Amino acid sequence: MQRREALKSLAILTGGAVLIPSCNFEKEDILAAYSNLQITSTQQTLLSAVANSIIPPGNLKGAGDIAVQDFILVMVNDCLDKERQALFTQGLQEFDAYSKKVGGSKFLKLEATEKEKVISAGLAIAPGTADEIQKSVREFLSITKRFTIQGFMMSEYIMKDIKPYSLIPGSYKGEVLLSSISNPKING
Amino acid sequence: MANFNIDATAERTFQAIVIGSGISGSWAAKELCEHGVKTLVLERGRDVKHLHDYPTTNMLPYEFTHRGQLTKEVEAENPVVSKCYAFREDAMHFFVKDKEHPYVQEKPFDWIRGYQVGGKSLLWARQVQRWSDFDFEGPARDGFAVDWPIRYKDIAPWYSHVEKFAGVSGNKDGLAHLPDGEFLPGFELNIVEKYFQAQLKKHYGDSRHMILARCAHITGNLDYYKQQGRVQCQSRNLCQRGCPFGGYFSANASTLPWAEKTGNLTMRTNAVVHSIIYDESKGKAVGVRIVDANTHQTEEYFADVIFVNAAALNTNLILLNSTSNRFPNGLGNDSGLLGKYVAFHNYRAGISAEYEGLSDYTTTGGRPTSGYFPRFRNLHKQETDFLRGYAAGFSAGRYNYADQSGIGLALKEELLNPSKYSNWSVGSHMMGETIPKETNFVALSKDEKDAWGIPLLRVNVDYDDNDEKMVKDYQQQMTEMFEKAGFTNIRVRDDHRAPGLDIHEMGGVRMGKDPKTSLLNKDHQLHSCTNVYVTDGACMTSTSTQNPSLTYMAFAARAAHHAMKNQKWGKV
Repeated sequence: MQRREALKSLAILTGGAVLIPSCNFEKEDILAAYSNLQITSTQQTLLSAVANSIIPPGNLKGAGDIAVQDFILVMVNDCLDKERQALFTQGLQEFDAYSKKVGGSKFLKLEATEKEKVISAGLAIAPGTADEIQKSVREFLSITKRFTIQGFMMSEYIMKDIKPYSLIPGSYKGEVLLSSISNPKING
Repeated sequence: MANFNIDATAERTFQAIVIGSGISGSWAAKELCEHGVKTLVLERGRDVKHLHDYPTTNMLPYEFTHRGQLTKEVEAENPVVSKCYAFREDAMHFFVKDKEHPYVQEKPFDWIRGYQVGGKSLLWARQVQRWSDFDFEGPARDGFAVDWPIRYKDIAPWYSHVEKFAGVSGNKDGLAHLPDGEFLPGFELNIVEKYFQAQLKKHYGDSRHMILARCAHITGNLDYYKQQGRVQCQSRNLCQRGCPFGGYFSANASTLPWAEKTGNLTMRTNAVVHSIIYDESKGKAVGVRIVDANTHQTEEYFADVIFVNAAALNTNLILLNSTSNRFPNGLGNDSGLLGKYVAFHNYRAGISAEYEGLSDYTTTGGRPTSGYFPRFRNLHKQETDFLRGYAAGFSAGRYNYADQSGIGLALKEELLNPSKYSNWSVGSHMMGETIPKETNFVALSKDEKDAWGIPLLRVNVDYDDNDEKMVKDYQQQMTEMFEKAGFTNIRVRDDHRAPGLDIHEMGGVRMGKDPKTSLLNKDHQLHSCTNVYVTDGACMTSTSTQNPSLTYMAFAARAAHHAMKNQKWGKV
């Protein structure tokens, strides 16, 4: 338990880059921080690219720029049941093949707009599909999208620098005209 | 006990011992200490000092590894406490974990506990509605349990006493069945809640009310609360973490530091109470036997008066485990009813809907309370095919949210500048009175003991036909009221939760007039061992519908003064 906690803390500090050797030396090393998942650092890089396409850099940083992939992996590792973890891992493994099929190339080699098209196509796969691979790609992308949004919007970057969050929300007003509320537009 | 000598006995002797430092125990301790009574408080958990021991209180959302969510590992290890709405990443450390303190569920019962200084007063929902004689006269009128030996007039001044000190925000609503108290300014009901209020008036006249729920938060009289080191509630809605402002009432922020300031309080933490020591020759209780939570050493403490405020079911456990020649079946248990007639609040049902009107309006800021329906069923006379009735929460709100359908820069812009407003969503949950029965009981396990050698508690508590009827009636009546108010997309639910998750378990050591049919007299003394007082949930003869903590606080203060008067102590 203590080792696990220590690894978890290290994972947060280092972005998961603590490696333990896998049993099969032909395979890449597995990231030890995510003990319920079998994730390699190459896959972690791919996940970062997917997150960065879902919320790309622009005027403000993108999801990959603030390492949202580490949050995604922590959440998948700790807060999803085994079945969904397996679908996520499988979908991540299959994702480059899917990208080749739909976008013509490995994901990292695609242009930004093509990347978005591949992700959108994957998210549009019918939820009830009988195709195991399609199903895992869809699940991987929908889990990744959900945690990308959460990880980005609930990041220190957004909650401290961009839309400062206050622990003290102000006294309650129960009758506020929508027209009286004006939030300054944030240019993403 | 090799070192046991006269000096040690003197050091271990107090005027009063209070078992439990939670919402009721801390009130007994505060009253006793304030009037010069040397008081020992025994707390089975660790110390939690106001301001110092609230590790998450000022943490920002991104500082929580899982942004507040429970991990699957925590959920798997804690199937019971994980069901509690407040058991989340930010407040897990104030709850008992399932494995730490097992109990025997002979019927499903979700026992939610907080073993630390302050107990569950750190975690409670802070709703404080007074009882009235419509509640105290319930058992006598409707022929269940036994008659309460007290009435509203007996407790009203004590309600005022505790409300003033704890700080209660609310409106004077002028309802006989939910008496007004010593209120600080109320929070605001929002425009849809007020609309619903007006609709009730229109369709039901004066027979049904939805009011602002009274809550134990400071909203005024600030100089007075400054003496306690507490300031105005900041509407953070992070109460379960412990409040650095002392904005809501907790034992930690209010009664315990007040008691400590007198110099008369001794707090003994990590003290797992084994039993109350009864002296056959003196014919009274003389002390309390504890097991140190860490060292597992047994120790004894002595006092003239003992208050048992261990929280309802643990108070039952302690008394059941306090056996002697005089009381072979548990302290004060001549009637054989100790542990029996346990009851709770039925929280199974709820309703949600939408309101499409008033769409030009929204709310801003935070509010630590909501709307409240005092009981309207069977209030003046029996009118349904079930006994008693229910109170209900009510609230309306709407949310600014982002359309998350896209990806890329468009999604990012939308997330940063959410363009959508939900309809108003409205909802309510029931808080039903349950009827205490002999068949709903707790007892000691004959063979299973905990790590401190204390028998495990067996819990046998269940719903009955009256509860089933009440669930249906709540759903029907609420649906009717929601339809009349023009709410749409109305959905009722019955989550079939086990008893216990309401965290309003009560009874087992009930009050009554007759020692043959009750354990406690009108002053909260055990009929047959009068220097032992019980003023927590265990003493409840019936449950009524109101959140019970305020009543426990008032009972504790009243009983403490009774004890002091009896003992001719202090400056009462």
